[in-house]
Order: sequence, then structure tokens, then C-alpha cells
Amino acid sequence: MPGMNSGLNVDDPTVVAAFRAALLHQALIILAIFAVLSIAWAAVRRPQAAGAPGARVGAAVPEPAGRRVLRMGFGLLWLLDGVLQAQPGMAAGLPSQVIEPTASSSPPWVQHLVNWAGTTWSYHPIQAGAATVWIQAGIGLWLLAAPRGAASRLAGLASVGWGLVVWVFGESFGGIFAPGLTWLFGAPGAALAYCAAGALVALPERSWQSPRLGRVVLAAFGVFLAGMAVLQAWPGRGFWQGISGGRPGTLAGMVQTMAQASQPRFISQLVSGFGGFTAWHGFAVNLFVVAGLGIIGVAFILGRRAVTRPALAAFIALCLADWVLVEDMGIFGGLGTDPNSMIPMALLAVGGYLAVTRVPAAAPAPAEPAAAPDTIAAGPGASWRDRLRPAAVRQSAATASLGTMVSAGAVAVIALGAAPMAAVQASPVASTILAQAVDGSASPVDAPAPGFTLTDQHGRQVRLSGMRGKVVLLTFLDPVCVTDCPLIAQEFRQAGQLLGGDAGRVELVAVDVNPLYSELAYTQAFDRQEGLAGVPDWLYLTGSPGPLRQVYRAYGVVSETSPGGAMLAHNDVAFVIDQAGHLREELNFDPGPGTAATKSSFAAELADAATQILRAS
Amino acid sequence: MTRLGYVAAAVALAVLAAGCGSASRPAQTGGSSAVPLSLTTAVTGPGATWAAVPMGAASGADQFWQLFLLPAGGSRWSLQTPPDIATNGALILAGQGGQGIIVGERPSLYLTFSAITTTRDGGRTWATLPPASGLADVPDALAAAPGGRLIALGGNQQVTTAGPGGGWTTLTTRYALAGTPAARACALTGLTAAAYTPAGSPLLAGTCDRAGAVGIFAYAGGTWHQAAPPLPASLAGRQVRVLRLSRAASGDVALLQAGTGPSASLLAAWTSDRQRWRLSPVFGLGAAHAESVSFGAGGAIAVLLSGHRGETLAGPRASWRALPPLPAGRTVTLALPAGGTTDALAASGSSLTVWQLRPGAAAWAKAQAIKVPIQYGSSS
Repeated sequence: MPGMNSGLNVDDPTVVAAFRAALLHQALIILAIFAVLSIAWAAVRRPQAAGAPGARVGAAVPEPAGRRVLRMGFGLLWLLDGVLQAQPGMAAGLPSQVIEPTASSSPPWVQHLVNWAGTTWSYHPIQAGAATVWIQAGIGLWLLAAPRGAASRLAGLASVGWGLVVWVFGESFGGIFAPGLTWLFGAPGAALAYCAAGALVALPERSWQSPRLGRVVLAAFGVFLAGMAVLQAWPGRGFWQGISGGRPGTLAGMVQTMAQASQPRFISQLVSGFGGFTAWHGFAVNLFVVAGLGIIGVAFILGRRAVTRPALAAFIALCLADWVLVEDMGIFGGLGTDPNSMIPMALLAVGGYLAVTRVPAAAPAPAEPAAAPDTIAAGPGASWRDRLRPAAVRQSAATASLGTMVSAGAVAVIALGAAPMAAVQASPVASTILAQAVDGSASPVDAPAPGFTLTDQHGRQVRLSGMRGKVVLLTFLDPVCVTDCPLIAQEFRQAGQLLGGDAGRVELVAVDVNPLYSELAYTQAFDRQEGLAGVPDWLYLTGSPGPLRQVYRAYGVVSETSPGGAMLAHNDVAFVIDQAGHLREELNFDPGPGTAATKSSFAAELADAATQILRAS
Repeated sequence: MTRLGYVAAAVALAVLAAGCGSASRPAQTGGSSAVPLSLTTAVTGPGATWAAVPMGAASGADQFWQLFLLPAGGSRWSLQTPPDIATNGALILAGQGGQGIIVGERPSLYLTFSAITTTRDGGRTWATLPPASGLADVPDALAAAPGGRLIALGGNQQVTTAGPGGGWTTLTTRYALAGTPAARACALTGLTAAAYTPAGSPLLAGTCDRAGAVGIFAYAGGTWHQAAPPLPASLAGRQVRVLRLSRAASGDVALLQAGTGPSASLLAAWTSDRQRWRLSPVFGLGAAHAESVSFGAGGAIAVLLSGHRGETLAGPRASWRALPPLPAGRTVTLALPAGGTTDALAASGSSLTVWQLRPGAAAWAKAQAIKVPIQYGSSS
């Protein structure tokens, strides 16, 4: 998919170091936020007696068991996901290792949509990687810390919102539009379970006061499982054949592919063993799965306690078996971003079951205390305007629980992660960390730029000294190069665009580095090829082989013939020359993988170098 | 909704989802289309034989085309690949006099135009000619007239010409040519070769949709004229594709394929004035297809067939002669140097082995081995 991949190695040390540094810095800020919140909370807190003015209404009534399971279970899952997102290879690797493979079998419109997200990530891998860590950790913390009230429900909504983002962009809609859709491999996507759980947590507490919610959840779950059973049994999808045409059938093939992912040996052996078993007993395995899903689904739909309880036990057992034998526990294979779908599915089913079987006793109506005017303003039923009055805020702070304080910190964690990512979205270019990962940082130079007189693409004589007063970005390009030079030319062109109003104060200059192909016709053909023919301030200079070689020598540029039909060998380099004709920087300019992200990053690096000199003058 | 309703809804949803999630069976592609001719070829001029051979990897950025030279009267081939340019996109050869050759480099990777280089001294020194827009993927996409004019067939089916030292100008396009009275009769579907007549008039060849018509056209007096040979009666009614059209010693030579599939036949034709053509005997391809074609001195033709077979035609009055089973190699290029020998250049990776078949011999004899310093990875 175009643009999706930065092309950098997953474990690129520059990106990994920058990612770690970003996480460390943000962790320190988060610690500071929690420290300030703790001190403030300790300073203003007034211990409240139950029933006292401002005491939390409903605190005497325990949180419904089903809701607590979902809230805490998915809170822990979000926290785990946040931790997994902090893996060193995640910043550079998520688009190519997670998003792209997931989307590869989906229809073009899904790939197009997902490509946008992958490109965004690959342009700003550090900010995107860190944002994901903190957003997921923040949501997890929020869910864990806020058991009741509006804050808890908002945490549920946050789970729904971010879950949808992950489901669409990270899981390509859980693969529901791709062929081979099967519950065994996580359809319709783990993140959709996070969304469902978040939506249930976000429901008003009165919804949990009767078994009706649980019945609806179980029935919906039953419909889903029965549907998945039919899908699994559908003829022609290849799930009934262990081996088909001498090759593994659909299910065996998927399992064996999963076994090939890099993961601990014991997991690999388990998955591989099950893949082999499925290949030999494909029909029996599929029959077991179809029957299991169908029976459990019908049991959930019927909703009778006598059948839902054993059905739930069977479903949990099936989930665990699938989690280990098919999904390789989700977190061990490659760049695992979550424990996959089976644990969330099981949690949802348990939550629904508990919502039916453990309905909390109706709470006695709390006696309305004779409250002081300022306490009434912050109480339940008060408007948001009343709650934001200074007196109400002071009272709320004074009566806030530890959970409220942690919830506030969790929101700060989410904001801290999201803000840098939102900020970089304003920039149309990729982070320069990609260019640095490919070629290292620029080397400062302080020497007069060697002068030259050459011919531009229009046939005019051009002197370097004639460009005094402008910043010159200089490089050396082979007009018949098949790889790097066209990429570098594009980077220069984009740098010119990035300079905006400063473009007129910067010359983009290339010198023909191939003396054999030094005719004007070749520099002109190259310009046409790269769309540079009409770019103002772009000069592609050439000349006779003798003067050209003098320029190469002066700038330390290698230009050597290679045998066997290979391109001319030359070094990819760019120089920054200030308005006074002094060399200020030398940049290694090997364009690396030449992806949209790295091209953009190099362009940004060039534009930044020119802008810094312009600003300094 | 009743519980029964839930079950029914579940089944309905699942059926719908199964329809969405099922992979559709890919459409079967049927019918046999013409197999494109490889750009592997050799040309023999008065002073030398040149051969363009793909080496390195089988395809992609590590495949590098090499140019080999056998001087007239010599016995050793030498590597003379044009320097300072990546040859991943194939070399198109246009013969020159003496030990000269003009080489067009087809586009590859990020390079979209074709550099043109030339040597007059057997590869010791190279000079550049103005670059052409990307040359077509056919072995006769570039040709030279004796006076130094060039004609190029672009991948966009545009035909351009360049005078000595001048830039390229458009002569015609496939669409424009197809609209001329000369080409309308043939229902031209595509151009496959460009050449010059001995008098310096541009010649174009292509594939006709109309059965029995041969698409060779000459440009003279500002208009295009039919310049094709008449087909023998046995091939009338077959669709004809001009596989090659090139300069021969004293005129032009064309190799035609009539029909497709098992009934396809090859037919060579020679002319010195584009009016009168001499036709070769018809050669039935049977189950084989032509993979590459090389030209020798005096209008000789060597055709490499699938199945490691080869056929040669010594000239206008000769008959097709089967070659002994060809030597092994990922790519084999036949060459017909002056003197009546047939060379087979068998390339595998960076090794080229030259096998020779002397007149009257019944088997190939190994004559030379050349190791080419392929720069793997240099184009990626």
C-alpha cells in the first residue's frame, strides 16, 4: 500500500532511542502531574462521613458485579495494551508489521482508508507511538480508578471512542470485509469488544439494576455466536477441509501461518501442533467449532440459567483453547498489540451473565441532608454551570475520592499522549527523525564553498558566486540514475515547496555527477521526468567532463564507473551554503527506502536547514 | 423479538456475512495470446557481431543486460556493456557500420526515458546521443539510417525521429498511422518495429487485426504507404504479426508470424527496395513459439524457439535448418557471425558460456567462458 510504510527497520536504533526518550520524558511529566494532583488532593481534602453533605450518593450500594467485571477487566486490558504499545519496535513497525498485513486482504476502499492512518503514523512514528501508549494506558487507568458516577461513564465512552479508532484503522474493521472471516481468528475484531464493553460501562447505573440488560447482552452474544457458527459451516469457504488440493485447508493454513510468527518456542510448538492436527482432522475440528458455537449461541439466546451457566463455562473454555492454540495468545507473535479477541469476548460474556445473575439489591433512597447552599450547588442534579462555580469546585475538590484524583490524572495522561500527535498533524511533512535514522545527523561545516561556473538546464552560464545573498542547497545528481537521484530530486522539490515564502531566498542546485551523460538534453530530460522543469529556483548544472570533475574534487564527491551494467557510483550528499558563500552543513543524503515518509522527512530536513540559516541572518 | 426470532435473525445475519466474507473465485482467463518476443538478440554488421544478453537475476533490479562484441573474423567475444548507466531495463541495438553500434537503454525503476549511447570503435569509447522517450518493449524499437538519422518507437506507441546531433521530433503515432489509408486496410492494432529503408525512408511494422494483411508501412513523400510483402496462399486468412523488422546487408529483413497456437507459422521476407520481397519457406511452429530472433550477415536469421530449439535461415534463398538441441543456460542468445558459424551465448547469473556450431557440425562445442562482474544490489 503506498505510503503506509516508512521503510525503516522495525528495530532502527535511532527511532527506537527517540521513542524511548519520548516515552521517558512523557512519563516524567505524568509523574509530576500525579505528584501535583496528590499534593493538592491531600491539601484540600476533607474526610467525609457517610451521609454528610457532599458524600457520594449511592456509595452504599455496591457496583453491579457485571459492570465491575467489564470495567476492571477492560481497564486492565487497556493498560496491558498500552504497555504492549511501548515495545521498542512499535514506533517504526506498527504500520508495516500490524496495520498493513491486517488490511492486505480487505477490499480496496478499506485499504485506502487504512493507508491514510498508516501513512500518518509512518510520518510521525514517535508521536504516534507515544500517543497510543498513553491514550490506552490512560483509558485503562481511568476505567480502573472510576467505579461510579459520571467519570466512570465517561471512561466507558473514551473506551468506545478509542476502540473504534483501533477497530477501523488498526484492525481494518476486524477483517469483516475480508474473505476468510472467522471467529477463530478474532472476527469481528478485538477492539469491537472493547467498544461494546465501554458502551455497557457508559450506560446509566439504573440500566444495571435489573436483569434485562444482562439478558439483552447474552441474547445479542448468542445471536453473534450462532451467526459465526453458520459462517464457519458455510460450504465453499474451505473450513471443512484439513487439506485441499495437497495444500492446507483454510483453517489449517491460517493456523500454520500463525505458527510461523516469531514467538516463544513453546507457543510456536503448540500452534504448529494444532495446525498439523487441523490439517489431518480438519472436518472434525470444524465440526467441533461449529457445534460448539451454535450450541452456546442458542443457549445464550434462550437465556435460561440452567443452560447459560454451563454454556458460559463452555464458552470460556473454547475461548481459552482458541486463544492459546489459534491466536498464540496474541501478544507473543511478532509485534503483539493486544491479547487478541478471545479474552475480551470471554469477559463480555461473563459481564452479561453476571448482569443477569447478580443484580444488585435496590438501594434505599438516600435521606436528603440539610445541606448548606454551597454543597447543594455541587450535588447530583446540579447543572454544569453550578458545578463549575468556584465554591462548587472547592467543595468537589475537598470531597474528591482517591479514585476521582486518579481519574483526573488518567485524563491528563490521555491528553498528554494525544496533544503532541494532534500538534504534528498540523505539519504536512514527516518528522526529520526518519531522515536521521537513514543517514544520521547533519555535520556542521565552516569553510568557503568552492566556486564553480557551469551551465544550467536552460543553457545559461551560472556561477556559484552569483548566488550570493541566497541560501544554496546543493547536491549532485546523475541524470540517468535509476534509484537514488530521482528520489533526491523529489526531496529537493518538496523542500522548495515547504519553504513557502522563503523559497525565493533559497536556490535549489544540483550538479550533474555523470560526465558521460553531461549533455544538456540529459539534464533537461531528467527535469521533465521529475517534474522540475517549471520549478523556480531549481538549477540543474552541467558542463564539460573536465570542469565537472573539478567540482566533484572540490566538494569531495566520488564519481566512478562500475562494470557490468551498473549505474555510475557516486555519493549521495547535500550541502547547505549560506548567503555569504560559506559551507554551513553537509548532509548525508542517501534517500534510503524512498518511501513517501522518508522523502518527506528529507525534504523537511533540507527546508529546516535553509530556514535556520535564513532566520539566523 | 421472540427467542425464535433471535435465532432466525442470527442465521440471516450469518448468511449475509458469509456472502460478504466469502472469497470469489477468480475469473478464468482463456484464449492464447501472442507470446511477446524477448529483447535478447544479436546483430551482425560488416565489422562485428553484437549481442544483448540479460544476466544476473532472472528479473528485477538485479538483472543487468550486457553487451558482447565479436569482431569480424575474430574468435573471442568480449564484454562491451555501455558504462555509467544501469542496464536493468534491457538494451535495444541499432547496427552501425564498422565496429559501431547504437544502444538504447530501456526505462527501468525510476528512469522513465531512454538514454542513447553509441560507439564506433568496438566499445573502447562511448558517446551519448539525445535521450528518447521510453523505448518500447520490442527489439526493433530503435534503428539508425546510414546518414545518422534515428527512429525510435516509444512505449506509448509514439514514433520519433532525430537527425544527426538534433533532438527528437514526433513522426507519427500508432493512432495517427492507423487512420491513414495505408493502415486502415490492415486494421492496425499495435506497432512492433521501426526501421529505415536503404534509401533512408522510415519503415514501421505492426500487427494487423484484419486476417491476411501484413502491417509494414513506409514513409515517403509526406504520406504512409503499404510496403508489406504478399503472403503466400497457404497463410492467407491468418492474422499476421511482424516479429522483427531490421536492416540487412543491402536492404531490410522482416520476420512474420502468421496465426497463433499450433497452426502458427514463421515467414521471413527480404527486400532491397520495399517493392519486391523475397519470401522464405514457411516454417510451422507447431507447439513451439518464437522466443528471440537474431540477424546475421547477408540477411541470415536465427530463431530461438521454446523448448531449447533453434532454427536458422542462411538467407533469401535458403531453407530453414534446425539447430542441434541448444546448450543449457537460463538465457540463450543465438548469433550468426560472418563465416557460417552459429554461436549460442548461454547466460546463467554472472557466467556466460559461448558455444559454437561450425558449418556441418552436428553438436555444439564450448568455445569460451566469460565471467561478468555483476554489481548485485547496485540498482536497489
